[in-house]
Amino acid sequence: MKVTLVSRSGREFINGGLELPDSATVADLQEAIYKRTKKFYPSRQRLTLPVPPGSKERPVVLNYKKSLKDYSDEKQNKLTVVFKDLGPQVSYSTLFFFEYLGPLILYPIFYYFPVYKFFGYGEDRVIHPVQTYAVYYWCFHYLKRITETFFVHRFSHATSPFSNVFRNCAYYWLFGSYIAYYVNHPLYTPVGDLQMKIGFGFGLVCQLSNLYCHIILKNLRNPDGSGGYQIPHGFLFNIVTCANYTTEIYQWLGFNIATQTVAGYVFLVVATSIMTNWALAKHRRLKKLFDGNEGRPKYPRRWVILPPFL
Amino acid sequence: MASALTVLRRLYLSIYNWLVFIGWFQVLFLALKALKESGHEHVYNAVEKPLLLAQSAAVMEILHGLIGLVRSPVSSTLPQIGSRLYLTWGILWSFPEIRTHILVTSLVISWAITEIIRYSFFGMKEAFGFAPSWHLWLSRYSTFLVLYPTGISSEVGLIYFALPYIKASEKYCFRMPNKWNFSFDYFYAAILALGIYVPGSPHLYHYMLGQRKRALSKSKKE
Repeated sequence: MKVTLVSRSGREFINGGLELPDSATVADLQEAIYKRTKKFYPSRQRLTLPVPPGSKERPVVLNYKKSLKDYSDEKQNKLTVVFKDLGPQVSYSTLFFFEYLGPLILYPIFYYFPVYKFFGYGEDRVIHPVQTYAVYYWCFHYLKRITETFFVHRFSHATSPFSNVFRNCAYYWLFGSYIAYYVNHPLYTPVGDLQMKIGFGFGLVCQLSNLYCHIILKNLRNPDGSGGYQIPHGFLFNIVTCANYTTEIYQWLGFNIATQTVAGYVFLVVATSIMTNWALAKHRRLKKLFDGNEGRPKYPRRWVILPPFL
Repeated sequence: MASALTVLRRLYLSIYNWLVFIGWFQVLFLALKALKESGHEHVYNAVEKPLLLAQSAAVMEILHGLIGLVRSPVSSTLPQIGSRLYLTWGILWSFPEIRTHILVTSLVISWAITEIIRYSFFGMKEAFGFAPSWHLWLSRYSTFLVLYPTGISSEVGLIYFALPYIKASEKYCFRMPNKWNFSFDYFYAAILALGIYVPGSPHLYHYMLGQRKRALSKSKKE
């Protein structure tokens, strides 16, 4: 089968196109492109079917598992594919590992080492119990996240643009340091004992619920990674679409109730708004996909992320 | 009744733009007068009132964008006005020791020329309904080539030279311990502001260059 490759401007991307066996899959095509161009490894390639000029439709993205025959012109046994370079990519596992590593290492530095003398404070310091529980709670949280990255999550896309490394690490590392600075400060004022216990207790319950949510999400997808979207169900997903985000937000709320810093609450607000954006998109996508037509189930009425507000 | 609202909108915006134009014209006039008669150390005192008024009035423009009276996105007007208000109130007004610095003169003149051009441009558009001749229009998209670097350097310079006064005065600082475990140090905030100018200024300048290219190529087509 002859495959013609064009760029989005219509120019031929590989002169003369590529010749592939009739039974070849999209993955084989990606390999062939990589072999030929040497620069564009498969995860950098975005291959779509051409869209008629002026059409507002979103182009069909080629699925790497499907065979080329599923997309080609049957009679003429050829195929035209539009190529786009997504730029250098990094695997999600790598990205997540480095963004979580920062908080995991930076926060304890403020707890264990006399860093405050560089800010002009003396070396004597009284460590309150809440500060000790906080460093354990925090480290447990990020260790949990790293573990989930490697053993639980099933990513719908294998990679993310490399530039996200700087953006994401800046977010986690800067906020992590900002919060750590205040919670471990020599002039830190702890809250009452009961408030601390309620905060950490509630936070821990939410962290464990969050883990369970992630396990449920993992089991929604087939192990061979054929992905696709399912209607989440079970546990809190029966009432809220993004129960995983809900539990994550409440988990941070627990931490803040226990530690009470403006820095922590600022982080909570920012994180909540980011997750809310994601949740709205996901909820919308699921409702559109599961519209009840043509035998598809209809997406049930559910909260998006934070009952009873949204 | 839509046309009555349109008329009202145009009337309001004309008055707004021309009033602020007059304010900035005063700033430029008084600045040059003081420079000639008394020297750069006295420029601030001469322009203080119209400067504070004209610059603070710009807050209205955020409102205009929010309620849809004008098309400018809030995301671009907010940082611009924010930095202006920071310099005007947060540095010049708050720390009198910096007012005699020569950079105050370059700052005030750069700002004043830029704003005179900008407000008269919008004033004419709202009042007379048309963009002025391409020649005046060109000055709007060309003077920034010089005025942005001079203005931004003056801003950065003044913040930098004000740092010792900021640190010594302890103004606008909120200290620990307190029950919210919160602190704010105006000195470190100023250093952070300087840090933002480093990527922020080339980004802004690039954006203006792009706008200029687009505007000039559009006029060529017409």
